[in-house]
Amino acid sequence: MLLLITCFGILPKLQAQSDLQISKVFDQYGERRGAVMVELTNEMLNGYEFSLFKSITISNNSAASEFIRKYLERDEVGAKKVKQVVTNGVLTSIYLQLPRKGQFYRLILFNETFKPESKITLIYIESKNDSEDVLKLILKKK
Amino acid sequence: MRFKIKHNLTADQADKLIEKYYEGFTTVEEERQLKAFLAQTGLPERFKAEQAIFGYFETKQSKPLFNLRSYIRWVGAIAAMFIIGFGIQTFTMYTSSDYAYVDGVKITNKSKIKTQALASLSNVAADNNEVEQSLENLNDNELMKQQLEVFSGLSK
Repeated sequence: MLLLITCFGILPKLQAQSDLQISKVFDQYGERRGAVMVELTNEMLNGYEFSLFKSITISNNSAASEFIRKYLERDEVGAKKVKQVVTNGVLTSIYLQLPRKGQFYRLILFNETFKPESKITLIYIESKNDSEDVLKLILKKK
Repeated sequence: MRFKIKHNLTADQADKLIEKYYEGFTTVEEERQLKAFLAQTGLPERFKAEQAIFGYFETKQSKPLFNLRSYIRWVGAIAAMFIIGFGIQTFTMYTSSDYAYVDGVKITNKSKIKTQALASLSNVAADNNEVEQSLENLNDNELMKQQLEVFSGLSK
């Protein structure tokens, strides 16, 4: 019975981003002061349907930005870089299209701003729709 | 002198053992030998009664190979477990696991969560043309890579 509960109930939850290093960022900083973490499943945002939307925004925490960059670097392996901004040798923005996992297209979006305050935003997206369309739809809203 | 049991009884030895059996003096081992003897086919007519007796005990003691009631019970139990498991999975998939943490405080209000999600999207958003240009460049890079591979093949 316990085995069944594990198989049916818990494992599907673990599938989401378990293979990614950035999951450690959510675990490490998600519930801390100065951070805003969001998780939405099967939801429409900006007219687009996400299977999973997970984001974290951390303010004024240089250690966190180093932590994120370290794990982003590992998740870059095998991913396509749609956009990358490096300022003074430091990665400040990157959009990564990850290899599809089953029926899901996956994206990682990262951005760091310094004005008016230092703010890091990391987003992980899973969708059944093409990730290029996700990018266009999300970002043209600005 | 004690009667010695052999693995293969003769008819005379079996007679003596049957007599001993009816008197209630046989050991477990002797009864096993007797059963083995009586289980044989083509025995003389005089052993028919004992064959029937031992055959009766044999069938009564041995477990049936297929018990429909227990089979149904097992199938039912397994089916119930799968239904429960599937229910758990469906529940975890479709019940809302949406949340937000703001400064360590959990929020479950859907509209507030969405507001936070949109705010984070806005933080990473760039100019649309920039993204489209990047996507095109990405495709161009792949095209160039393919063309280079063709040329490198020709030069060999």
